[in-house]
Amino acid sequence: MIINHPLLGPRDSSEFYHMGDAVLMDRPDPEAENAAEQFHDYAYLRDNPAGEYRELWYHEQGDRSWLVVTRDTLTHEISSVELAREVARAQGRSK
Amino acid sequence: MTKRLDGGLIDRSKPLNFTFNGKKMQGFQGDTLASGLIANGQKIVGRSFKYHRPRGIFTSGSEEPNALVQLRSGAHQEPNTRATVAELFEGLTATSQNHRGSLENDIMGGIDLLSPFLSAGFYYKTFMWPKSFWEKVYEPFIRSSAGLGRLSMEVDPDSYDKGHAHCDVLVIGSGPAGLMAALSAAKSGAEVIFADEDALMGGRLNAETFEVGGQSGSEWAAATVAELSSMSNVRVMNRTTVYGSYDHGIYGALERRTDHLVSSNGKPRQIAWKIYSKRAILCAGATERSIAFGNNDRPGIMLSGSVRTYANRFAVTPGQSVAILTNNDDGWRTAADLHAKGVDLAAVVDTRDTSPLGSFTGASIVTGAAVKDTKGRKGLQNITLTNGQTIQADCLAVAGGWNPNVHLTCHQRGRPTWNEDLSAFVPGGELPPGMIVAGSANGTYGLAGCLAEGRDAANTTVKDLGFTASRTQAPKAEDEASSVTPIWHVPAGKSRCWIDLQNDVSSKDVKLASSEGYRSVELLKRYTTLGMATDQGKTANVLGLAVLAEAQGKSIPETGTTIFRPPYTPVAMGALGGRAVGLDFRPFRLTPSHKWAEENGATFVEAGMWLRAQWYAKTGEQGWRDSVDREVIATRKSVGICDVTTLGKIDIQGKDAAAFLNKVYANAFGKLAAGKVRYGLMLREDGIVMDDGTTACMAENHYVMTTTTANAGPVFRHLDFCRQVLYPDMDVHIISVTDGWAQFAVAGPNARKLLQKVVDEQHDISNEGFPFMACGEISVCGGVPSRLFRISFSGEMAYEIAVPSQYGDDMIRALMSAGEEFDAVPYGTEALGVMRIEKGHAAGNELTGQTSALNLGLGGMVSKNKDCIGKTLSKRPDMNRDDVWNLVGLQPVDKSVPLNAGAHFLEKGAEPNMTNDLGWMTSVAYSPSLGYSIGLGFVKAGSTRKGDVIRAWDAMRKKDVDVEIVSAHFIDPEGERLRA
Amino acid sequence: MPDFTLTEKPALGGFDHDFDGTSLKENVGLAIVSVAIPLGGDDAVAEALKSAYGADTPVVGDSSLSKDGATRIIRTATDQLFVLFQHETPDAAQIVAGKLGDAGYYVDQTHNWVGLTLDGPLSRAALERVCAMNLHKDRFPLNKAERTVMEHMGAIVARTGEDAFLLLSASSSAGSYLHAIETSLKYVS
Repeated sequence: MIINHPLLGPRDSSEFYHMGDAVLMDRPDPEAENAAEQFHDYAYLRDNPAGEYRELWYHEQGDRSWLVVTRDTLTHEISSVELAREVARAQGRSK
Repeated sequence: MTKRLDGGLIDRSKPLNFTFNGKKMQGFQGDTLASGLIANGQKIVGRSFKYHRPRGIFTSGSEEPNALVQLRSGAHQEPNTRATVAELFEGLTATSQNHRGSLENDIMGGIDLLSPFLSAGFYYKTFMWPKSFWEKVYEPFIRSSAGLGRLSMEVDPDSYDKGHAHCDVLVIGSGPAGLMAALSAAKSGAEVIFADEDALMGGRLNAETFEVGGQSGSEWAAATVAELSSMSNVRVMNRTTVYGSYDHGIYGALERRTDHLVSSNGKPRQIAWKIYSKRAILCAGATERSIAFGNNDRPGIMLSGSVRTYANRFAVTPGQSVAILTNNDDGWRTAADLHAKGVDLAAVVDTRDTSPLGSFTGASIVTGAAVKDTKGRKGLQNITLTNGQTIQADCLAVAGGWNPNVHLTCHQRGRPTWNEDLSAFVPGGELPPGMIVAGSANGTYGLAGCLAEGRDAANTTVKDLGFTASRTQAPKAEDEASSVTPIWHVPAGKSRCWIDLQNDVSSKDVKLASSEGYRSVELLKRYTTLGMATDQGKTANVLGLAVLAEAQGKSIPETGTTIFRPPYTPVAMGALGGRAVGLDFRPFRLTPSHKWAEENGATFVEAGMWLRAQWYAKTGEQGWRDSVDREVIATRKSVGICDVTTLGKIDIQGKDAAAFLNKVYANAFGKLAAGKVRYGLMLREDGIVMDDGTTACMAENHYVMTTTTANAGPVFRHLDFCRQVLYPDMDVHIISVTDGWAQFAVAGPNARKLLQKVVDEQHDISNEGFPFMACGEISVCGGVPSRLFRISFSGEMAYEIAVPSQYGDDMIRALMSAGEEFDAVPYGTEALGVMRIEKGHAAGNELTGQTSALNLGLGGMVSKNKDCIGKTLSKRPDMNRDDVWNLVGLQPVDKSVPLNAGAHFLEKGAEPNMTNDLGWMTSVAYSPSLGYSIGLGFVKAGSTRKGDVIRAWDAMRKKDVDVEIVSAHFIDPEGERLRA
Repeated sequence: MPDFTLTEKPALGGFDHDFDGTSLKENVGLAIVSVAIPLGGDDAVAEALKSAYGADTPVVGDSSLSKDGATRIIRTATDQLFVLFQHETPDAAQIVAGKLGDAGYYVDQTHNWVGLTLDGPLSRAALERVCAMNLHKDRFPLNKAERTVMEHMGAIVARTGEDAFLLLSASSSAGSYLHAIETSLKYVS
């Protein structure tokens, strides 16, 4: 597999660590009323789509950036690779 | 040696001696073992897999199902090698396989007479009963008859390697289409890798008599390869099989570097390449198929194109009187080429009602008939036609038509489609991304067509990549006739018509499977083993499918198709392993004191990639326990030194560093002052403990975190995830400093006195000046920068002292010299483990990924005043029940009895079952300090049960020991020693 | 003053060997200091590098040289630089901090790494056996500096000359890393 790193270009997947579903970016608000329920879903529930899937990869043997990779699980075609930090900021995460 | 024909691409000035089954033979440079055997008149080369039928050479290439032999001898012996692709070299020794007694008189040959009982599914039907026969009768029998060649049972003395190659365009196959594709792509300026499995590039051009651009095909091929080799943007890889197509343009290729040489001379024998291509042009050619008729497997029966290859390329003829059976125009070319070489033709039999395409002196020309059966147990003697005619011949060339080599197009689930005109499967619509197919692999059989298609494919490809297509013209050539009217199967009464020669599958087996309900081709494959041999049925699959279609009264496309998986041809495990064998399997990380430890009797243990000193044996010690007990006692009595460099060390800086630590640690870190260390407990988001360690505040906004050895990588990854993704606007920066510091624990009542001898005097390390949990940047031995931490894992008064790692070797020597007057000992991981159990510290055995802070007795550490990773879910009711496991100490009631880790706890008298399970013993050690075996374990509500006696029941070791629940702090429960 | 003195011992004992005209040499005395770029502090770091070293700030995967050519600056991550220079005493971080001031956060990385210089016509052929990156002259131009993995070991590869590469890998596995490169050179020489 090759991941087209947004800063470094195409890199062999052996440089990366795979963590799974990008929903892990959406850590719930611990102050929310149903925080326990939300954290339960966050920690345990995953979709297993046949098709487009957003997942987190870590360029561990590279620039150490966390990436959001959109991959088709049927074909392994990768349609987009983004820096997770920027995605997180765009989603309103801060400190 | 039989007479060689004229011409050929062998070098007659270089004769080569070789042996087959001990018989001395001679060939020439440029021969394969197969052509060498043919030149020496060897008809039988092996026995078939199941029925031990005599078999000869069937093809001239990597599709060979029959001629599997053992090459070389001793540890270099390699079984199941195809003689058709093994290049001859001086002194080659080859032996035949799968027979008992001689090849000619195999005593297992009688199995063939049992064939009526050994039909498809025979294993499933026969070995069902009686059950007791399985182990004693059936399995030994199957084992002794299974397999073909034999392994040497010695370590492979050859080395292998892997490599990574990059290109814009990968051209696979070097026939006419491949050559034109490579040339055109190369001239456009693209980076090209041009690979072919053969030693001599050129594909069928070396096997045919075609002219290309006024030269012989082989001359044109050689000139073109030479031109490509001279170009700096082209990498020509002969002897290289592109065996698999993988994601994103990655191809696997096996390069055979020294298989054709007498010796590897210390260089890798084979290299497994990972080729990264932007585009690939598949020009893998086509493979001829057979026709199923009676006894079509006799030595001397061969594919027609291969007979032509032997005559044209290797200047040998497999027979002195050759008959040809064909259902297409191509068979006639074999006749013409052999005739031109002066080989006697016995007959040309065309199954079509067509006018003969040639006439040859002495040859019967028969049309509208087929071969029905053959005779000649150890080599073909005659053939009987469907018209009743019998013709004497010692070689029968069978031309059943050609199948495009679609294999690599299927590796990503692409399905070939049936082409009625060609009567063959051609690459389907869904190719691996980036791949295009050209030439006969694409179903384009004419030479001129192949050349043009190769060029066009390259031009399309390079334009796609942004290059300007070159104006390379295809050289002048003609399209040969290739019309075919398929005939697959000639029923032959009682005689078996073979389909898969390597796995001994006949048309009867296919029909039987069909009648028993195995109608899907995928099931047929598995039931009959058709196409399941190492050749993946290259010469058999389409034929098998046709017979299945016939049995079901359907067309071939209606019946289905099978697809192929990597590898295209077998790849040795050694090549896939590359250089990662033995001690090179993975890297070793050595601690800074490694050399010193080696000099001082250390036994090392692998901890991840690290090698750590496990204990240091002294002369006279009888076993590891002697050393470990001594190290523990000496440390607790005076002082011991342990290399703890392997613990992960992460430097954390930034304006938000403290806030960040508050998020990743369950306990509070906001107010840790500079110069202080704190124990930190890290949770996963599900509330389970991830790791623990200490974090030192070196200065404002600057911390050094330690992790367990095993979790150094995962924790770093986690911290990076938190800072980049969960808290992207925190100003916090992390970098590993694990390898940068040689760190030593100095523990025991004399630790301070020892350290005072190495620490520069301006630094106050007294208990007042440097109390428990202090840290600081100091210097040692006259100005070497150092970090000192007053922390303890052993429970003793202890420090960890760090110096830049290149000073580590000198540092351990200085510490040991300074410690001489205190009888300082080095201690290893075993003593470390004993002391942490004596002290009740949790380690890997307790941090199993199932245990919460509460389980570990650290529930109170999870701060109530802040959010942290894992906080919310750690509050779940089920993780906070009164009867959750608590970490406790355990000691045997009878102190002479050793404890076992892994034992389960039960109430006394309770039956051992899951309902009564109270927990389990996680760690045990013999405590030299106490003089008996002690343990740590998780017991339900254990913290409320101190003093209770329960059973430690160990079903595996058949032990049942009464143990008392005690505090996990066996030594110094008040912690007075550490604060001394 | 303690009775003991400590000397630095290079991780590979100063390894230096020639393989058919391609040399592999331990880079003894190479100091490495990481500079973390504070959040929003890119411009300040760039200015500091310019004034202290006369160097441009490289993009990730690239490196630049100081005006005098003695210092190499590798951008290892969006918020991290490595500053490399020959320096014998264990105070490299203070040196760099002294030059760049409070523009960054500094960590001495000298002892974390082993440095090897690979120079000669066999260098690419040797590296392609263990390195997945495309090191073609045009694709990996002069001063390119990328972090990658070789034989399970993290490594930084920087192109420092026509056929010359600076290789950095973890000091604890220096022996295994040398073995990997040396084996490759033996296989291709």
